[in-house]
Amino acid sequence: MLAMAQKEELTKQQELIYEMRIGLVMTKNPVSVAPEMQMSKLREILQTKRISGMPVLENGFLVGMVSLEDFIECLTSDAMNDSVAKHMSTDVITLFENDFLVTAVREFERTGFGRFPVLNRETGELVGILTKGDILRGVAKKLEVEFHRAEKKRYKNKMHILDHVQADETRFTFQYHIVGNDFNRAGEAAGNLKKNLKRLGLPPEIIRRVAIASYEAEMNLVIYTSGGYMTVRISPEMITVNVFDNGPGIPDVNQAMQEGYSTAENRIRDLGFGAGMGLPNIKKCSDEMLLRSKIGKGTNLRFSVKLYGKNDDN
Amino acid sequence: MTIEEIVKQLGLKSLTKYDGNATVSGVFASDLLSDVMANSEEENFWITLQKHPNTIAVATLKDLAGIILVNNRKPDEETLEKAKEEGVAIFSTTMFTFEICGKLYDLLREL
Amino acid sequence: MQLREIIKILECKILNSFSNLDLEIAHGSGCDQMSDVLAYVKSDALLLTGLTNTQVIRTADIADVKAVCFVRGKTIDSKIIQLSEEMKIPLLSTKLPMFEACGRLYKAGLKGCEENGIG
Ligand SMILES: Nc1ncnc2c1ncn2[C@@H]1O[C@H](COP(=O)(O)OP(=O)(O)OP(=O)(O)O)[C@@H](O)[C@H]1O
Ligand SMILES: [Mg+2]
Repeated sequence: MLAMAQKEELTKQQELIYEMRIGLVMTKNPVSVAPEMQMSKLREILQTKRISGMPVLENGFLVGMVSLEDFIECLTSDAMNDSVAKHMSTDVITLFENDFLVTAVREFERTGFGRFPVLNRETGELVGILTKGDILRGVAKKLEVEFHRAEKKRYKNKMHILDHVQADETRFTFQYHIVGNDFNRAGEAAGNLKKNLKRLGLPPEIIRRVAIASYEAEMNLVIYTSGGYMTVRISPEMITVNVFDNGPGIPDVNQAMQEGYSTAENRIRDLGFGAGMGLPNIKKCSDEMLLRSKIGKGTNLRFSVKLYGKNDDN
Repeated sequence: MTIEEIVKQLGLKSLTKYDGNATVSGVFASDLLSDVMANSEEENFWITLQKHPNTIAVATLKDLAGIILVNNRKPDEETLEKAKEEGVAIFSTTMFTFEICGKLYDLLREL
Repeated sequence: MQLREIIKILECKILNSFSNLDLEIAHGSGCDQMSDVLAYVKSDALLLTGLTNTQVIRTADIADVKAVCFVRGKTIDSKIIQLSEEMKIPLLSTKLPMFEACGRLYKAGLKGCEENGIG
Protein backbone atom coordinates (compact mmCIF):
# COMPACT_ATOMS: atom_id res chain seq x y z
CA MET A 1 0.00 0.00 0.00
CA LEU A 2 2.75 2.41 1.00
CA ALA A 3 4.91 1.37 -1.89
CA MET A 4 2.05 2.03 -4.22
CA ALA A 5 1.46 5.47 -2.76
CA GLN A 6 5.12 6.32 -3.21
CA LYS A 7 5.16 5.15 -6.77
CA GLU A 8 2.10 7.21 -7.45
CA GLU A 9 3.83 10.27 -6.09
CA LEU A 10 6.97 9.74 -8.11
CA THR A 11 5.10 9.71 -11.35
CA LYS A 12 3.05 12.61 -10.07
CA GLN A 13 6.28 14.48 -9.44
CA GLN A 14 7.33 13.91 -13.01
CA GLU A 15 3.99 15.10 -14.20
CA LEU A 16 4.24 18.24 -12.14
CA ILE A 17 7.34 19.54 -13.90
CA TYR A 18 5.28 19.53 -17.06
CA GLU A 19 2.39 21.36 -15.40
CA MET A 20 3.98 23.90 -13.09
CA ARG A 21 5.49 27.11 -14.33
CA ILE A 22 8.81 28.59 -13.28
CA GLY A 23 7.17 31.77 -11.96
CA LEU A 24 5.43 29.71 -9.29
CA VAL A 25 8.56 28.30 -7.65
CA MET A 26 11.34 30.84 -8.36
CA THR A 27 12.67 33.22 -5.73
CA LYS A 28 11.10 36.56 -6.44
CA ASN A 29 12.84 39.91 -5.99
CA PRO A 30 16.32 38.40 -5.83
CA VAL A 31 19.28 40.31 -4.46
CA SER A 32 20.99 42.09 -7.34
CA VAL A 33 23.88 44.47 -7.84
CA ALA A 34 24.64 47.37 -10.15
CA PRO A 35 27.35 47.05 -12.84
CA GLU A 36 29.30 50.02 -11.53
CA MET A 37 29.66 48.61 -8.02
CA GLN A 38 33.12 47.66 -6.84
CA MET A 39 33.95 43.98 -6.63
CA SER A 40 35.09 44.46 -3.04
CA LYS A 41 31.54 45.32 -2.04
CA LEU A 42 30.39 41.89 -3.14
CA ARG A 43 32.03 40.24 -0.15
CA GLU A 44 29.43 41.47 2.29
CA ILE A 45 26.50 40.47 0.16
CA LEU A 46 27.88 37.03 -0.63
CA GLN A 47 28.55 36.45 3.04
CA THR A 48 25.41 37.78 4.65
CA LYS A 49 22.97 36.46 2.05
CA ARG A 50 24.81 33.15 1.76
CA ILE A 51 24.39 33.06 -1.96
CA SER A 52 26.86 32.04 -4.58
CA GLY A 53 25.83 34.30 -7.42
CA MET A 54 23.55 37.14 -8.35
CA PRO A 55 22.19 39.07 -11.28
CA VAL A 56 23.58 42.40 -12.34
CA LEU A 57 20.87 44.91 -13.17
CA GLU A 58 20.78 48.17 -15.04
CA ASN A 59 17.41 49.99 -14.99
CA GLY A 60 15.69 46.76 -14.07
CA PHE A 61 17.19 44.89 -16.99
CA LEU A 62 19.61 42.05 -16.70
CA VAL A 63 23.07 42.84 -18.04
CA GLY A 64 25.03 39.94 -16.54
CA MET A 65 25.59 37.50 -13.69
CA VAL A 66 28.33 37.69 -11.12
CA SER A 67 29.33 34.69 -9.02
CA LEU A 68 31.43 33.64 -6.07
CA GLU A 69 33.98 32.33 -8.55
CA ASP A 70 34.28 35.76 -10.16
CA PHE A 71 34.81 37.22 -6.74
CA ILE A 72 37.54 34.74 -5.82
CA GLU A 73 39.28 35.37 -9.13
CA CYS A 74 39.42 39.11 -8.40
CA LEU A 75 40.67 38.37 -4.94
CA THR A 76 43.59 36.29 -6.24
CA SER A 77 44.42 38.70 -9.06
CA ASP A 78 44.18 41.71 -6.78
CA ALA A 79 41.43 43.37 -8.81
CA MET A 80 39.01 44.15 -6.01
CA ASN A 81 38.67 47.79 -7.02
CA ASP A 82 37.40 46.89 -10.47
CA SER A 83 33.72 47.32 -11.27
CA VAL A 84 31.39 44.37 -11.31
CA ALA A 85 30.80 45.06 -15.01
CA LYS A 86 34.37 44.12 -15.76
CA HIS A 87 34.17 40.65 -14.24
CA MET A 88 30.59 39.53 -14.61
CA SER A 89 29.67 37.01 -17.28
CA THR A 90 27.51 38.52 -19.96
CA ASP A 91 26.53 35.53 -22.06
CA VAL A 92 23.85 34.57 -19.61
CA ILE A 93 21.30 31.86 -20.17
CA THR A 94 17.90 33.03 -19.03
CA LEU A 95 14.55 31.39 -18.46
CA PHE A 96 11.08 32.83 -18.76
CA GLU A 97 8.60 33.11 -15.95
CA ASN A 98 5.87 31.32 -17.91
CA ASP A 99 8.04 28.41 -19.07
CA PHE A 100 7.27 25.04 -17.55
CA LEU A 101 9.66 23.62 -14.97
CA VAL A 102 10.71 20.95 -17.41
CA THR A 103 12.54 23.60 -19.47
CA ALA A 104 14.53 24.61 -16.42
CA VAL A 105 15.31 21.02 -15.48
CA ARG A 106 16.73 20.47 -18.97
CA GLU A 107 18.87 23.61 -18.75
CA PHE A 108 20.27 22.62 -15.36
CA GLU A 109 21.20 19.26 -16.79
CA ARG A 110 22.65 20.64 -20.00
CA THR A 111 24.75 23.45 -18.54
CA GLY A 112 25.54 22.27 -15.05
CA PHE A 113 24.88 25.82 -13.78
CA GLY A 114 23.50 26.31 -10.29
CA ARG A 115 21.09 29.17 -10.98
CA PHE A 116 19.27 30.95 -13.77
CA PRO A 117 17.86 34.44 -13.92
CA VAL A 118 14.15 34.46 -14.81
CA LEU A 119 12.67 37.13 -17.06
CA ASN A 120 9.20 38.28 -17.92
CA ARG A 121 8.70 37.21 -21.50
CA GLU A 122 6.85 40.37 -22.53
CA THR A 123 8.84 43.10 -20.80
CA GLY A 124 12.21 41.39 -20.63
CA GLU A 125 12.57 42.54 -17.04
CA LEU A 126 14.17 40.37 -14.40
CA VAL A 127 11.51 38.92 -12.12
CA GLY A 128 13.33 36.22 -10.19
CA ILE A 129 16.06 33.67 -9.87
CA LEU A 130 15.73 29.92 -10.04
CA THR A 131 17.88 27.26 -8.37
CA LYS A 132 17.44 23.50 -8.26
CA GLY A 133 16.44 23.93 -4.64
CA ASP A 134 13.56 26.19 -5.69
CA ILE A 135 12.26 23.48 -8.01
CA LEU A 136 12.42 20.76 -5.39
CA ARG A 137 10.74 22.92 -2.76
CA GLY A 138 8.02 24.02 -5.19
CA VAL A 139 7.21 20.52 -6.33
CA ALA A 140 7.25 19.16 -2.78
CA LYS A 141 4.85 21.87 -1.64
CA LYS A 142 2.44 21.19 -4.48
CA LEU A 143 2.56 17.46 -3.80
CA GLU A 144 1.75 18.07 -0.20
CA VAL A 145 -1.29 20.16 -1.08
CA GLU A 146 -2.47 17.53 -3.53
CA PHE A 147 -1.84 14.76 -1.09
CA HIS A 148 -4.03 16.48 1.49
CA ARG A 149 -6.72 16.92 -1.09
CA ALA A 150 -6.56 13.27 -2.05
CA GLU A 151 -6.71 12.28 1.61
CA LYS A 152 -9.80 14.36 2.10
CA LYS A 153 -11.42 12.82 -0.95
CA ARG A 154 -10.63 9.32 0.23
CA TYR A 155 -12.18 10.22 3.54
CA LYS A 156 -15.29 11.58 1.88
CA ASN A 157 -15.75 8.54 -0.31
CA LYS A 158 -15.88 6.24 2.64
CA MET A 159 -19.14 5.18 4.09
CA HIS A 160 -18.37 5.77 7.74
CA ILE A 161 -21.59 4.45 9.03
CA LEU A 162 -20.49 1.00 7.94
CA ASP A 163 -17.06 1.36 9.54
CA HIS A 164 -18.47 1.18 13.02
CA VAL A 165 -20.64 -1.83 12.44
CA GLN A 166 -18.96 -4.93 13.78
CA ALA A 167 -19.79 -7.80 11.48
CA ASP A 168 -18.24 -9.99 8.86
CA GLU A 169 -20.46 -8.44 6.27
CA THR A 170 -22.52 -5.27 6.37
CA ARG A 171 -25.34 -4.53 3.97
CA PHE A 172 -28.27 -2.20 3.89
CA THR A 173 -31.40 -3.05 2.01
CA PHE A 174 -34.22 -0.68 1.18
CA GLN A 175 -37.40 -1.74 -0.50
CA TYR A 176 -39.97 0.49 -2.21
CA HIS A 177 -43.33 -0.32 -3.68
CA ILE A 178 -44.18 1.39 -6.91
CA VAL A 179 -47.80 1.89 -7.90
CA GLY A 180 -48.60 1.80 -11.61
CA ASN A 181 -50.37 4.78 -13.21
CA ASP A 182 -50.18 6.97 -10.13
CA PHE A 183 -48.44 9.82 -11.88
CA ASN A 184 -48.56 12.24 -8.99
CA ARG A 185 -46.73 9.99 -6.60
CA ALA A 186 -44.34 8.76 -9.26
CA GLY A 187 -40.77 9.52 -8.32
CA GLU A 188 -41.36 9.30 -4.59
CA ALA A 189 -39.39 6.09 -4.23
CA ALA A 190 -36.33 7.49 -5.99
CA GLY A 191 -36.63 10.71 -4.00
CA ASN A 192 -36.71 8.82 -0.72
CA LEU A 193 -33.84 6.62 -1.80
CA LYS A 194 -31.81 9.70 -2.55
CA LYS A 195 -32.50 11.10 0.92
CA ASN A 196 -31.37 7.85 2.51
CA LEU A 197 -28.17 7.74 0.48
CA LYS A 198 -27.43 11.29 1.61
CA ARG A 199 -27.91 10.25 5.21
CA LEU A 200 -25.41 7.45 4.70
CA GLY A 201 -22.91 10.12 3.71
CA LEU A 202 -22.19 8.76 0.25
CA PRO A 203 -20.37 10.98 -2.28
CA PRO A 204 -22.77 13.32 -4.13
CA GLU A 205 -21.74 12.07 -7.58
CA ILE A 206 -22.61 8.47 -6.63
CA ILE A 207 -25.91 9.57 -5.13
CA ARG A 208 -26.77 11.51 -8.25
CA ARG A 209 -26.12 8.54 -10.51
CA VAL A 210 -28.12 6.10 -8.41
CA ALA A 211 -30.94 8.61 -8.00
CA ILE A 212 -31.23 9.38 -11.70
CA ALA A 213 -31.17 5.71 -12.71
CA SER A 214 -33.75 4.66 -10.13
CA TYR A 215 -36.00 7.59 -10.99
CA GLU A 216 -35.98 6.57 -14.66
CA ALA A 217 -36.75 2.99 -13.68
CA GLU A 218 -39.55 4.08 -11.39
CA MET A 219 -41.11 6.28 -14.08
CA ASN A 220 -41.09 3.38 -16.51
CA LEU A 221 -42.98 1.25 -14.00
CA VAL A 222 -45.54 3.98 -13.41
CA ILE A 223 -46.05 4.70 -17.09
CA TYR A 224 -45.86 1.25 -18.69
CA THR A 225 -46.77 -1.29 -16.02
CA SER A 226 -49.33 -2.05 -13.38
CA GLY A 227 -46.67 -1.53 -10.74
CA GLY A 228 -43.96 -3.45 -8.92
CA TYR A 229 -41.18 -2.89 -6.46
CA MET A 230 -37.61 -1.78 -6.20
CA THR A 231 -34.98 -3.14 -3.84
CA VAL A 232 -31.74 -1.36 -3.18
CA ARG A 233 -28.82 -3.14 -1.64
CA ILE A 234 -25.89 -1.20 -0.34
CA SER A 235 -22.63 -2.92 0.47
CA PRO A 236 -19.30 -1.26 1.19
CA GLU A 237 -18.35 -1.83 -2.44
CA MET A 238 -21.43 -0.99 -4.43
CA ILE A 239 -25.07 -0.10 -4.65
CA THR A 240 -27.26 -2.57 -6.50
CA VAL A 241 -30.80 -1.72 -7.53
CA ASN A 242 -33.32 -4.36 -8.62
CA VAL A 243 -36.61 -3.33 -10.15
CA PHE A 244 -39.39 -5.85 -10.75
CA ASP A 245 -42.80 -5.34 -12.32
CA ASN A 246 -45.78 -7.49 -13.16
CA GLY A 247 -45.92 -6.89 -16.85
CA PRO A 248 -46.79 -6.46 -19.67
CA GLY A 249 -43.11 -7.04 -20.47
CA ILE A 250 -40.90 -5.69 -23.23
CA PRO A 251 -41.02 -7.47 -26.62
CA ASP A 252 -37.48 -6.53 -27.67
CA VAL A 253 -35.16 -5.37 -24.91
CA ASN A 254 -32.37 -4.43 -27.30
CA GLN A 255 -34.69 -2.15 -29.19
CA ALA A 256 -35.98 -0.65 -25.94
CA MET A 257 -32.41 0.14 -24.93
CA GLN A 258 -31.85 2.28 -28.01
CA GLU A 259 -31.69 6.00 -27.50
CA GLY A 260 -34.89 7.60 -28.74
CA TYR A 261 -36.95 4.43 -28.89
CA SER A 262 -40.27 4.87 -27.15
CA THR A 263 -43.79 3.52 -27.29
CA ALA A 264 -45.16 6.44 -25.29
CA GLU A 265 -48.34 8.10 -26.48
CA ASN A 266 -48.82 11.83 -26.93
CA ARG A 267 -50.50 12.04 -23.56
CA ILE A 268 -47.30 10.77 -21.91
CA ARG A 269 -45.10 13.08 -23.97
CA ASP A 270 -47.12 16.03 -22.81
CA LEU A 271 -46.42 14.92 -19.26
CA GLY A 272 -42.72 15.28 -20.00
CA PHE A 273 -41.84 11.63 -20.65
CA GLY A 274 -41.47 9.35 -23.62
CA ALA A 275 -38.38 10.74 -25.32
CA GLY A 276 -36.84 7.27 -25.25
CA MET A 277 -33.96 8.37 -23.08
CA GLY A 278 -34.72 6.56 -19.84
CA LEU A 279 -33.09 3.18 -20.32
CA PRO A 280 -30.00 4.62 -22.10
CA ASN A 281 -29.78 7.07 -19.23
CA ILE A 282 -29.80 4.22 -16.70
CA LYS A 283 -27.00 2.57 -18.61
CA LYS A 284 -24.99 5.76 -18.64
CA CYS A 285 -25.38 6.22 -14.89
CA SER A 286 -24.52 2.69 -13.84
CA ASP A 287 -21.42 0.51 -13.94
CA GLU A 288 -23.42 -2.56 -14.81
CA MET A 289 -26.92 -2.99 -16.12
CA LEU A 290 -29.06 -5.98 -16.99
CA LEU A 291 -32.56 -5.85 -18.47
CA ARG A 292 -34.62 -9.03 -18.69
CA SER A 293 -38.21 -9.31 -19.71
CA LYS A 294 -40.89 -11.92 -20.41
CA ILE A 295 -44.02 -10.94 -22.28
CA GLY A 296 -47.06 -11.36 -20.10
CA LYS A 297 -44.91 -12.00 -17.04
CA GLY A 298 -42.93 -8.88 -16.32
CA THR A 299 -39.60 -7.14 -16.45
CA ASN A 300 -36.57 -7.16 -14.20
CA LEU A 301 -34.02 -4.41 -14.40
CA ARG A 302 -30.86 -4.64 -12.38
CA PHE A 303 -28.12 -2.06 -12.25
CA SER A 304 -25.25 -1.31 -9.95
CA VAL A 305 -23.00 1.59 -9.18
CA LYS A 306 -19.59 0.95 -7.69
CA LEU A 307 -18.59 3.01 -4.71
CA TYR A 308 -14.96 3.01 -5.77
CA GLY A 309 -13.45 2.32 -9.12
CA LYS A 310 -13.26 3.41 -12.67
CA ASN A 311 -16.62 4.98 -13.25
CA ASP A 312 -16.36 6.88 -10.00
CA ASP A 313 -15.25 10.07 -11.68
CA ASN A 314 -13.98 12.17 -8.79
CA MET B 1 -35.56 36.65 -42.01
CA THR B 2 -35.44 33.70 -44.38
CA ILE B 3 -34.78 30.07 -43.64
CA GLU B 4 -31.58 30.20 -45.65
CA GLU B 5 -30.11 32.99 -43.53
CA ILE B 6 -30.81 31.10 -40.33
CA VAL B 7 -29.49 27.82 -41.68
CA LYS B 8 -26.28 29.54 -42.75
CA GLN B 9 -25.75 31.58 -39.62
CA LEU B 10 -26.33 28.69 -37.24
CA GLY B 11 -24.79 25.97 -39.38
CA LEU B 12 -27.91 23.83 -39.29
CA LYS B 13 -27.86 20.47 -41.01
CA SER B 14 -30.80 20.03 -43.34
CA LEU B 15 -32.42 16.60 -43.39
CA THR B 16 -35.05 17.36 -46.02
CA LYS B 17 -35.50 19.63 -49.03
CA TYR B 18 -36.45 23.14 -48.03
CA ASP B 19 -37.35 26.47 -49.53
CA GLY B 20 -34.53 28.77 -48.50
CA ASN B 21 -36.52 31.88 -49.40
CA ALA B 22 -39.43 31.07 -47.12
CA THR B 23 -39.74 33.60 -44.33
CA VAL B 24 -39.55 32.79 -40.68
CA SER B 25 -41.95 34.84 -38.57
CA GLY B 26 -40.47 33.89 -35.22
CA VAL B 27 -39.31 31.00 -33.12
CA PHE B 28 -41.22 28.63 -30.88
CA ALA B 29 -39.32 26.33 -28.56
CA SER B 30 -41.18 23.47 -26.90
CA ASP B 31 -41.14 19.71 -26.48
CA LEU B 32 -44.84 19.53 -25.66
CA LEU B 33 -47.11 18.93 -28.63
CA SER B 34 -50.15 20.41 -26.93
CA ASP B 35 -48.16 23.55 -26.22
CA VAL B 36 -47.12 23.88 -29.85
CA MET B 37 -50.68 23.21 -31.02
CA ALA B 38 -52.03 25.90 -28.73
CA ASN B 39 -49.41 28.61 -28.88
CA SER B 40 -47.20 28.48 -31.96
CA GLU B 41 -47.82 30.87 -34.83
CA GLU B 42 -47.77 30.50 -38.58
CA GLU B 43 -44.27 30.37 -40.13
CA ASN B 44 -42.66 29.86 -36.73
CA PHE B 45 -39.47 27.86 -36.64
CA TRP B 46 -40.06 25.07 -34.11
CA ILE B 47 -37.19 24.08 -31.84
CA THR B 48 -37.67 20.71 -30.18
CA LEU B 49 -36.11 17.40 -29.30
CA GLN B 50 -39.26 15.49 -30.28
CA LYS B 51 -38.54 13.39 -33.32
CA HIS B 52 -41.53 11.10 -33.68
CA PRO B 53 -43.99 11.25 -36.60
CA ASN B 54 -46.62 13.26 -34.72
CA THR B 55 -44.44 16.34 -34.92
CA ILE B 56 -45.01 16.45 -38.67
CA ALA B 57 -48.77 16.50 -38.22
CA VAL B 58 -48.43 19.40 -35.80
CA ALA B 59 -46.07 21.31 -38.09
CA THR B 60 -48.46 20.87 -41.01
CA LEU B 61 -51.56 21.83 -39.07
CA LYS B 62 -49.95 24.96 -37.71
CA ASP B 63 -48.18 25.92 -40.98
CA LEU B 64 -44.80 26.10 -39.28
CA ALA B 65 -41.73 27.17 -41.24
CA GLY B 66 -39.78 24.11 -40.19
CA ILE B 67 -38.48 21.99 -37.34
CA ILE B 68 -35.05 22.21 -35.75
CA LEU B 69 -34.14 19.05 -33.86
CA VAL B 70 -31.75 19.87 -31.05
CA ASN B 71 -29.15 17.82 -29.22
CA ASN B 72 -28.22 15.93 -32.38
CA ARG B 73 -31.54 14.07 -32.45
CA LYS B 74 -32.16 12.02 -35.60
CA PRO B 75 -35.76 11.82 -36.75
CA ASP B 76 -37.48 8.44 -36.93
CA GLU B 77 -37.61 7.06 -40.45
CA GLU B 78 -41.34 7.41 -40.47
CA THR B 79 -40.98 11.03 -39.43
CA LEU B 80 -38.67 11.76 -42.35
CA GLU B 81 -41.01 10.04 -44.77
CA LYS B 82 -43.99 12.02 -43.52
CA ALA B 83 -41.98 15.22 -43.62
CA LYS B 84 -41.15 14.63 -47.26
CA GLU B 85 -44.78 13.83 -48.06
CA GLU B 86 -46.06 16.95 -46.34
CA GLY B 87 -43.20 19.21 -47.37
CA VAL B 88 -42.10 19.97 -43.83
CA ALA B 89 -38.49 21.10 -43.55
CA ILE B 90 -36.41 19.40 -40.83
CA PHE B 91 -32.99 20.51 -39.64
CA SER B 92 -30.73 19.22 -36.94
CA THR B 93 -28.10 20.71 -34.67
CA THR B 94 -25.86 19.48 -31.89
CA MET B 95 -26.82 22.49 -29.80
CA PHE B 96 -29.27 22.23 -26.91
CA THR B 97 -32.48 24.25 -26.82
CA PHE B 98 -30.94 26.85 -24.52
CA GLU B 99 -27.96 27.54 -26.74
CA ILE B 100 -29.78 27.59 -30.04
CA CYS B 101 -32.48 29.86 -28.64
CA GLY B 102 -29.71 32.14 -27.42
CA LYS B 103 -28.08 32.33 -30.81
CA LEU B 104 -31.34 32.71 -32.73
CA TYR B 105 -32.54 35.37 -30.34
CA ASP B 106 -29.47 37.44 -31.10
CA LEU B 107 -29.81 36.83 -34.80
CA LEU B 108 -33.46 37.86 -35.00
CA ARG B 109 -32.88 40.98 -32.98
CA GLU B 110 -30.07 42.18 -35.16
CA LEU B 111 -32.53 42.65 -37.97
CA MET C 1 -25.11 34.66 -12.47
CA GLN C 2 -27.10 35.28 -9.31
CA LEU C 3 -30.73 34.27 -9.06
CA ARG C 4 -31.64 37.90 -8.45
CA GLU C 5 -30.28 38.86 -11.85
CA ILE C 6 -32.22 36.06 -13.53
CA ILE C 7 -35.39 37.22 -11.84
CA LYS C 8 -34.79 40.72 -13.14
CA ILE C 9 -33.98 39.64 -16.69
CA LEU C 10 -37.00 37.35 -17.00
CA GLU C 11 -39.30 39.57 -14.94
CA CYS C 12 -40.05 36.57 -12.77
CA LYS C 13 -42.62 35.95 -10.13
CA ILE C 14 -41.19 34.14 -7.09
CA LEU C 15 -43.38 31.18 -6.23
CA ASN C 16 -41.96 29.82 -3.00
CA SER C 17 -39.96 30.82 0.03
CA PHE C 18 -36.73 29.11 -0.96
CA SER C 19 -35.71 31.55 -3.62
CA ASN C 20 -32.46 32.75 -2.09
CA LEU C 21 -31.58 35.70 -4.29
CA ASP C 22 -27.82 35.28 -3.86
CA LEU C 23 -27.88 31.75 -5.23
CA GLU C 24 -25.24 31.32 -7.95
CA ILE C 25 -26.45 29.76 -11.18
CA ALA C 26 -23.81 28.73 -13.70
CA HIS C 27 -25.82 27.08 -16.48
CA GLY C 28 -29.20 27.24 -18.13
CA SER C 29 -31.32 24.52 -19.66
CA GLY C 30 -34.60 24.79 -21.53
CA CYS C 31 -36.36 21.45 -21.71
CA ASP C 32 -39.78 19.85 -21.39
CA GLN C 33 -38.67 16.22 -21.44
CA MET C 34 -37.55 15.06 -18.04
CA SER C 35 -35.26 12.25 -19.21
CA ASP C 36 -33.29 14.77 -21.22
CA VAL C 37 -32.99 16.98 -18.18
CA LEU C 38 -31.72 13.99 -16.21
CA ALA C 39 -29.27 13.06 -18.94
CA TYR C 40 -27.75 16.42 -19.70
CA VAL C 41 -28.41 19.05 -17.08
CA LYS C 42 -25.47 20.24 -15.00
CA SER C 43 -25.94 20.32 -11.27
CA ASP C 44 -25.61 24.08 -10.94
CA ALA C 45 -28.24 24.87 -13.53
CA LEU C 46 -31.51 26.71 -13.80
CA LEU C 47 -34.18 24.61 -15.51
CA LEU C 48 -36.57 26.53 -17.74
CA THR C 49 -39.59 24.46 -18.65
CA GLY C 50 -43.06 24.68 -20.06
CA LEU C 51 -44.03 21.48 -18.28
CA THR C 52 -46.09 22.11 -15.18
CA ASN C 53 -46.50 18.97 -13.11
CA THR C 54 -44.94 17.58 -9.96
CA GLN C 55 -42.45 15.54 -11.99
CA VAL C 56 -40.59 18.75 -12.80
CA ILE C 57 -39.87 19.21 -9.11
CA ARG C 58 -39.01 15.54 -8.61
CA THR C 59 -36.65 15.64 -11.57
CA ALA C 60 -35.05 18.83 -10.30
CA ASP C 61 -34.51 17.18 -6.93
CA ILE C 62 -33.06 14.01 -8.43
CA ALA C 63 -30.73 15.86 -10.82
CA ASP C 64 -29.63 18.51 -8.29
CA VAL C 65 -31.05 21.32 -10.39
CA LYS C 66 -30.48 24.58 -8.51
CA ALA C 67 -33.70 26.39 -9.47
CA VAL C 68 -36.75 25.95 -11.69
CA CYS C 69 -38.49 28.59 -13.76
CA PHE C 70 -41.80 27.92 -15.50
CA VAL C 71 -42.18 29.75 -18.79
CA ARG C 72 -45.15 31.31 -20.59
CA GLY C 73 -46.84 32.32 -17.32
CA LYS C 74 -48.75 29.12 -16.84
CA THR C 75 -50.78 28.77 -13.67
CA ILE C 76 -49.00 26.55 -11.20
CA ASP C 77 -50.90 24.05 -9.11
CA SER C 78 -50.43 24.49 -5.36
CA LYS C 79 -49.35 20.83 -5.15
CA ILE C 80 -46.28 21.73 -7.21
CA ILE C 81 -45.41 24.69 -5.03
CA GLN C 82 -45.85 22.59 -1.92
CA LEU C 83 -43.53 19.89 -3.23
CA SER C 84 -40.92 22.48 -4.19
CA GLU C 85 -41.01 23.76 -0.61
CA GLU C 86 -40.49 20.24 0.68
CA MET C 87 -37.57 19.74 -1.69
CA LYS C 88 -36.23 23.23 -0.96
CA ILE C 89 -36.00 24.07 -4.65
CA PRO C 90 -36.35 27.74 -5.62
CA LEU C 91 -39.36 28.16 -7.91
CA LEU C 92 -39.98 30.99 -10.36
CA SER C 93 -42.38 31.80 -13.13
CA THR C 94 -42.02 34.11 -16.12
CA LYS C 95 -44.54 35.33 -18.67
CA LEU C 96 -41.96 34.97 -21.44
CA PRO C 97 -42.10 31.98 -23.78
CA MET C 98 -39.24 29.48 -23.73
CA PHE C 99 -37.49 31.02 -26.73
CA GLU C 100 -37.30 34.50 -25.35
CA ALA C 101 -36.46 33.36 -21.82
CA CYS C 102 -33.49 31.30 -23.06
CA GLY C 103 -32.52 34.07 -25.46
CA ARG C 104 -32.40 36.78 -22.82
CA LEU C 105 -30.39 34.69 -20.36
CA TYR C 106 -27.96 33.53 -23.02
CA LYS C 107 -27.46 37.12 -24.10
CA ALA C 108 -26.81 38.08 -20.49
CA GLY C 109 -24.01 35.52 -20.40
CA LEU C 110 -25.54 32.42 -18.87
CA LYS C 111 -24.00 29.29 -20.37
CA GLY C 112 -25.84 26.22 -21.61
CA CYS C 113 -25.26 22.64 -20.51
CA GLU C 114 -23.33 21.38 -23.52
CA GLU C 115 -20.65 18.87 -22.57
CA ASN C 116 -17.65 20.99 -23.52
CA GLY C 117 -19.04 23.97 -21.70
CA ILE C 118 -19.00 26.28 -24.71
CA GLY C 119 -22.07 27.89 -26.22
N1 LIG D 1 -40.82 -1.83 -17.16
C1 LIG D 1 -41.24 -1.76 -18.44
N2 LIG D 1 -42.27 -2.50 -18.85
C2 LIG D 1 -42.70 -2.43 -20.11
N3 LIG D 1 -42.13 -1.66 -21.06
C3 LIG D 1 -41.11 -0.90 -20.72
C4 LIG D 1 -40.58 -0.89 -19.39
N4 LIG D 1 -39.53 -0.06 -19.36
C5 LIG D 1 -39.40 0.43 -20.60
N5 LIG D 1 -40.32 -0.06 -21.43
C6 LIG D 1 -40.43 0.19 -22.89
O1 LIG D 1 -39.18 0.63 -23.37
C7 LIG D 1 -39.32 1.89 -24.02
C8 LIG D 1 -38.08 2.70 -23.79
O2 LIG D 1 -37.99 3.06 -22.43
P1 LIG D 1 -37.16 4.32 -22.01
O3 LIG D 1 -37.29 4.51 -20.55
O4 LIG D 1 -35.80 4.21 -22.57
O5 LIG D 1 -37.87 5.52 -22.77
P2 LIG D 1 -39.30 6.14 -22.52
O6 LIG D 1 -39.80 5.76 -21.19
O7 LIG D 1 -40.16 5.81 -23.68
O8 LIG D 1 -38.98 7.70 -22.55
P3 LIG D 1 -38.25 8.55 -21.40
O9 LIG D 1 -37.66 7.57 -20.46
O10 LIG D 1 -37.26 9.35 -22.14
O11 LIG D 1 -39.27 9.38 -20.76
C9 LIG D 1 -40.59 2.48 -23.46
O12 LIG D 1 -41.18 3.38 -24.37
C10 LIG D 1 -41.45 1.24 -23.25
O13 LIG D 1 -42.04 0.84 -24.45
MG1 LIG E 1 -38.56 5.96 -19.47
